[in-house]
Amino acid sequence: MKPLAPALALLLVPVMTQAATHEQILVAYQAQAGSGFSPSANRGETFFRAKHHKANGEIATCMDCHTENLKATGQTKAHKTIQPMAPSVNAERITDPAKVEKWFRRNCKDVLDRACTAEEKADFIAFLLSIR
Amino acid sequence: MGITFNNILILLLALGVTAYGLNASRADDDVASFPPVDHKLTHDECSACHMVYPAGLLPARSWSRMMRELDNHFGDDASLAPQQAAEIKRYLVDNAADGRMANTRMRRIAAGIQPNDAPLRFTETAYFHYVHDEVPNSMWKRSKIASKANCIACHTRAETGSFSEKEIRIPKE
Repeated sequence: MKPLAPALALLLVPVMTQAATHEQILVAYQAQAGSGFSPSANRGETFFRAKHHKANGEIATCMDCHTENLKATGQTKAHKTIQPMAPSVNAERITDPAKVEKWFRRNCKDVLDRACTAEEKADFIAFLLSIR
Repeated sequence: MGITFNNILILLLALGVTAYGLNASRADDDVASFPPVDHKLTHDECSACHMVYPAGLLPARSWSRMMRELDNHFGDDASLAPQQAAEIKRYLVDNAADGRMANTRMRRIAAGIQPNDAPLRFTETAYFHYVHDEVPNSMWKRSKIASKANCIACHTRAETGSFSEKEIRIPKE
């Protein structure tokens, strides 16, 4: 079954280049994570609220910019408002695969000092979609 | 000498020239000093994290360096797809302080930067210090200002490229 996962991910590449539904994007990350993986909103929430000790001595969390409430606005370090993350209040969220991937790439590096895994991305999106 | 027709004529002429000069400098202050960023990709990508800084605030070599070092952008990863980064860099370089489109103010900014220097912060240029020399340190520390990069805290129309004196509103706290 293993060789199937990359093949499945390739099938989903067309999805990654245009507007998509929240579920399509979640399914694409789930496929990348491999067969047998099932996204968990609970794990996604734990991941979102975790504190990370960075190499530079700082403690970083996703909440530093996004706040504890993903239905509310956040603020970047440079004083710019971040629109709510939860698709239930901001339907535009998680509809552009390239944008989703861009922000995972940047923010995982800034908060975790590393790239996020497909499992972590799928879990976090499942958490976002569970917020009503 | 006494009051003669000639003396009064010279006085009136001098007053006229002075008034014209004052008016001209005010008119210069009224116009948007920097063309606003009208390149959509540049506007959208930059404004996702911070106010959109006009390209005319820094010379081309600064923008080239900034776009080369996007994966460590003042401590954060602001990396972009290579094609997008190239397109944004082209816009910024074409409209830089030392570019073909540069106005007098931009040329003064560029002239104040050493040829071998490529600052990433406009707030570290000689021109910035020159035009902010009357702002005391305590004022920069007010919570609603917080950072010298936060132009819009005082320059209410900064995002349109306008830094006119009469549009300045300094937060009290």
